[in-house]
Amino acid sequence: MRGKSGVTHLLGTLGHPGTERTSRKGRSPAPPRPAPPRRGWDCGAARGGRGCPRGRGGAGRGLGRARGPEDPPAGRPAARRRLGRGGAGRGGRAGGPDVTGPSAPPRRGCCSRARERAPPPPPPPPPPGRERSARGHGLGPRGGGHAAEAAAHCQEGEELQLATRLRATSLKERKHFGGIFRDHVVDTRQYLEHVRESTTGTLGRPVKLFTNHFRVTSRPQQVTYKYNIDYMPDIEDGKVRSELLLQHKAFIGECHIFDGSSLLLPHKLLLPKTELVSLLKNQVVKLTIEFISELSPNSPDCLRYYNILFRRILKQMNLKQVGRNYYNKQEATEFFNHKLVIWPGYVTSILEYETSITLCADVNHKLLRMQTAYDLITGLRDPQTRKEDVEQVSKELIGSIVFTLYNNKTYRVDAINWEDNPRTKFKKSGGAEITFVDYYREQYNTEVTDLTQPLLISKGKWKKSQQDTPHKPIMLVPELCYLTGLSDKMRKDYRVMRDLALHMRLDPERRQHELRKLMNTIQTNREVQRELQLWDLKFDTNFVSFSGRILKEVRIFQGRRAFDSHPQFADWSRETRSGPLLNVKSLDHWLILYPTRNYGAASSLVQSLRKVTPTMGIAMREAKMLEVSDTVQSYTTVLENHVSSKTQMVLCVLSSEKKDLYDGIKQYLCVKCPTPSQCVVARTLDKPQTLMTIATKIAQQMNCKMGGALWKVETGLQNAMCIGIDCFHDIVNRRKSIAGFVSSINQELTQWFSQCIFQESGQELVNGLKTCLEAALKLWCKHNQFLPQAIIVYRDGVGDGQLQALMDHEVPQIESSLRSVYPKDSGVKLTFIVVKKRINTRFFVESQGRLQNPLPGTVIDVEVTKRQWYDFFIVSQSVKDGTVTPTHYNVIHDTVCFTPDRIQYLTYRLCHMYYNLPGVIRVPAPCHYAHKLAYLVGQSIHQEPHHSLASRLFYL
Amino acid sequence: MGENKECNSMVDNCEEVPTKEVIEFRPPLYKQRYFFVKNLVQQHKPKKVADLGFGDATLIWMLKYHHCIEHLVGVDTYAGSTSQWEISNLSPSVGDYLVPRDLDLTITLYRGSAVQKDSRLVGFDLMTCIELIEHLDSEDLAKFPEVVFGYYSPRIIIISTPNSEFNPLFPASTFRHLDHKFEWNRMQFQTWASDVANLYNYSVEFTGVGSPPAGAEHVGYCTQIGVFQKNEAKATESCISTPEEHVYETVFTTAYPSLQEKKNLLLVLSAEVLRASNSMRLRFIVDPKKKVNGRLVPEDSCVPRYGLIVTDAQRAQIESSPKPYCVGKKFYVPLERLITFPKVNRLVDSVERLRSLLSEALKLNRDQSALQVDLHDHYSRTMLSY
Repeated sequence: MRGKSGVTHLLGTLGHPGTERTSRKGRSPAPPRPAPPRRGWDCGAARGGRGCPRGRGGAGRGLGRARGPEDPPAGRPAARRRLGRGGAGRGGRAGGPDVTGPSAPPRRGCCSRARERAPPPPPPPPPPGRERSARGHGLGPRGGGHAAEAAAHCQEGEELQLATRLRATSLKERKHFGGIFRDHVVDTRQYLEHVRESTTGTLGRPVKLFTNHFRVTSRPQQVTYKYNIDYMPDIEDGKVRSELLLQHKAFIGECHIFDGSSLLLPHKLLLPKTELVSLLKNQVVKLTIEFISELSPNSPDCLRYYNILFRRILKQMNLKQVGRNYYNKQEATEFFNHKLVIWPGYVTSILEYETSITLCADVNHKLLRMQTAYDLITGLRDPQTRKEDVEQVSKELIGSIVFTLYNNKTYRVDAINWEDNPRTKFKKSGGAEITFVDYYREQYNTEVTDLTQPLLISKGKWKKSQQDTPHKPIMLVPELCYLTGLSDKMRKDYRVMRDLALHMRLDPERRQHELRKLMNTIQTNREVQRELQLWDLKFDTNFVSFSGRILKEVRIFQGRRAFDSHPQFADWSRETRSGPLLNVKSLDHWLILYPTRNYGAASSLVQSLRKVTPTMGIAMREAKMLEVSDTVQSYTTVLENHVSSKTQMVLCVLSSEKKDLYDGIKQYLCVKCPTPSQCVVARTLDKPQTLMTIATKIAQQMNCKMGGALWKVETGLQNAMCIGIDCFHDIVNRRKSIAGFVSSINQELTQWFSQCIFQESGQELVNGLKTCLEAALKLWCKHNQFLPQAIIVYRDGVGDGQLQALMDHEVPQIESSLRSVYPKDSGVKLTFIVVKKRINTRFFVESQGRLQNPLPGTVIDVEVTKRQWYDFFIVSQSVKDGTVTPTHYNVIHDTVCFTPDRIQYLTYRLCHMYYNLPGVIRVPAPCHYAHKLAYLVGQSIHQEPHHSLASRLFYL
Repeated sequence: MGENKECNSMVDNCEEVPTKEVIEFRPPLYKQRYFFVKNLVQQHKPKKVADLGFGDATLIWMLKYHHCIEHLVGVDTYAGSTSQWEISNLSPSVGDYLVPRDLDLTITLYRGSAVQKDSRLVGFDLMTCIELIEHLDSEDLAKFPEVVFGYYSPRIIIISTPNSEFNPLFPASTFRHLDHKFEWNRMQFQTWASDVANLYNYSVEFTGVGSPPAGAEHVGYCTQIGVFQKNEAKATESCISTPEEHVYETVFTTAYPSLQEKKNLLLVLSAEVLRASNSMRLRFIVDPKKKVNGRLVPEDSCVPRYGLIVTDAQRAQIESSPKPYCVGKKFYVPLERLITFPKVNRLVDSVERLRSLLSEALKLNRDQSALQVDLHDHYSRTMLSY
């Protein structure tokens, strides 16, 4: 077995330790946990993309993103809404032209996930002294430059230290809860004097809310004892570790919780240090059980053990563990025509919140695909020449996660080996040479039928703790590799998405029903109850309920008109298209490129534009119509000949959603020949009934891309600059990650300055932040004749477990940059808010006896917030079906001294400022702009966009 | 019992006496024993297999990959602490749901001794006692044949035990494992085995694994093995039903998903059918077509040129079946063609059965004679520009 170790020898040369490393960034520090699989499977499906700024329903989160590319201005928003809200009606595609396929990120699942867990684990907290100085009043007499350098330097050392530390902690610990737990013990509120008393606001209309948390009504009230278990020789595998320990069940007792390296017992062992001997096969392993500490009943460490216990319980309930969650295979749903199976399951965590410890439970789904990599490869073979479309296969397969049946493992495909085939020999661990065919036959009784298929190469899992060990590539036979997650093809197939959405997007009622079922089983399963009683753990079976507040609808100002956003749908699309825009750019010199056979689409688009632009106040002159053929080369040649310095806009009609074409055009127009551009897929212009809507969207989007503005809202801010930061991690190509940094230029927050930071994977943002911030301040100063008095940063793209790192690095870095730009005693203020969209907490309101989604503008700052944080939730978007996902905001630094009311008000209002959607989105606009920018750069152009575009929303 | 964990190689026995050269088996001896069993399983295709003294369940894990086995049982006196590791290795994985077995498989682990009778172990096709008997004291050893040969009376029994003649080649001259009550030479084992075989009407053949090093061939295999086969002629008499007697305690049991369950069959069948129709569809799109009675029909045979089909005979069979056709934007594949695809044929044997199954899972045409799919999907629309 383990052919892989053998296989690796064969490929020794393939492994460039250096190159491989770069990719990892996306992974959470936690290692071996198939981040991939999960991402691949459930994530693909269950947590889809992150593109959709507007809600998508709960479990179906992923679905929302079904269509990716945002560029095509037109459709996007509508499309989004359609999916997000359930899409029924609304003219089908009308709103949502499937516009550009091109920008559709190929592995959406990955990227999205990646970014979420972006940065590397937080370095250990620096000694308090240093930290204080960095954060505080700038002890360093010299400016930020040195500080930055020092920080970077420290960081390196810390990284090393961290790696060692991580290696020391147990696998399990890191695997499951490390991140969340690390974050939850970071006390950020201690520095925020102004909210010492309370982090609760008062504005708005109170509303009774329910949440998917269940209070822990009873838990051990005595001291428990924590022991460290040491293995000699060291054992890596958590399961084996636990098995070895359990050989001494009689000694440690029935009642115990083991996390892979430490053991929690309700009683004290006789000796503080005990040595035991276990047998592993024939090998003798020495276990040393050593007393570490007594845990008081309210120690946060206890919670970690409760979580482990709870997972054990889920297992007892006959749920199948896949990756990190548990699924009920008995309730599987098959989609025969899509070759898909869905298993419903649960995500749970027990954590401490404002006033109590609760169990947060949410429904989640695992997607199984009955399709192998081999199917994919043959499906892409040219039916005539028999030759695989090498490029296309690589595009579809590389970066995807495959699952090998025989050993139940997942691998990420890094390359395809077209030279070898299953008859190739590899060296087994014993040294003997064997072909893949024989190996699988001998080992797993599995026949490989196509002997001409290529092989897949996986460079193995990236583990931070194993940075120094060389990566050994593994070869896999495509026929035995099952694909995971949703493919692009599936995402583009509305039937697949519709069927999946029906099953996975649970509305509040169904969600509650599922969770009730879980809680009931816990109450009634005898084994589970026995286990819980051992620890005296009890859970309430009802949702926790409390009072939230609904903020007033926000008034939108567009030109001379003002209107409120719709209280239920959080949208103003009708209003916005029926009058002049806020800041209009006329279209004088512009080009339309279209492939010959799409002339019809192009000309009907022009006609429609001519009809819709006058209402919006856009003066549009005749565009220069240029015919091209369907290649990147042809587009760029035409552009080269016709784009001049006067050209304001280039509109490209694309014949199909080919990503390379889209990428090529964008690359040329963002880097070589900086011009705002708009791509539209011809097919979206096919339907006459939706054409007007699409033309309107395109006109608005072009207006924004040229530097215009659509509307504004009152934010209550004066002389403050808003910044949004988000990261994109290109796991697929293991390239660098990109952080988008978007800052406001004017007081009204209608113009934004966009920069990107390219970072080596896994690096902190630190250094790039300084440059960006300085450039942003300079531009603001140029526009406003003075420097902003306050900087408000919305930081998205922070993974679990990185809170401390933000506190230790990013915040001090920004402060030190400010010090270097501002004169002494300038009194510039900084507020830093961490934005989190991937959360499992949901809120519901009860109306007419049924649970429903809360209205947009619902703010929650009690009960499920944390005592040590200045945090709150806002449900800003509206979803039509499914359960809305609230966004979590955590103010970790605030010298502006915002009251809860003011910061909530501001945050909610910023969610109205995204110009690609006349509605409220999930996150503050700058965050989403930053996301769009990072995404475009990471997916399509791969280089820094030309600086002349930076003050326009060219990536919209 | 249950110590077939023993010796990865023989290295561990000689740690104290590093001066003597270590004999190392490749592959390790324990694997050679397991492979011996695997080969026998391969050869005889037993349905019910029991491993007495399963130890860490490695053999059971290896055997679960054999498609012929439907019941796999392990018995061990130490089966008390079935570990996570065993459970996760023996439980069905996600893969087992994606590619269900043809036949059901249940794996059960019991705690119990090979000298106790439990009626649930009666009627097996194969029982293995790998490195088991040498752990029995003389009293148990005396009871052993009566239980295993007399009462359980499986079709085939494999018994392996150390060959003491080999021991001098090892540095340490004691028993190979502390718990061994005895280690027999070939003569001792063969005498015992032949007596037992005679008594219970089995025939026995002797062999072994772990060949001696050059120059020491006379000592024989390191592990000696006796393969007992019941003499079928007289086997009938043992079919008298035995009273239910449950002595063993079940410590673990699991059932694997299989194609016997309709839901699984439907899933695999529809995946296979779609795979076949997809390959024909792509072919159809690029091949020349003609119009016949409102149907677009390929001029050629429309047989996929790769994958799916292995032999020329299979190809010929497909070629002679009704061709797929296209009406409007829909592509139709006659069921009679689908069933000629080897992987489909493996799952269902008649067009009627295929029809009744597919009608539950996929879309068929009106008279239920053909599968209906969309002619174009995203790929064919964008990539195969024609």
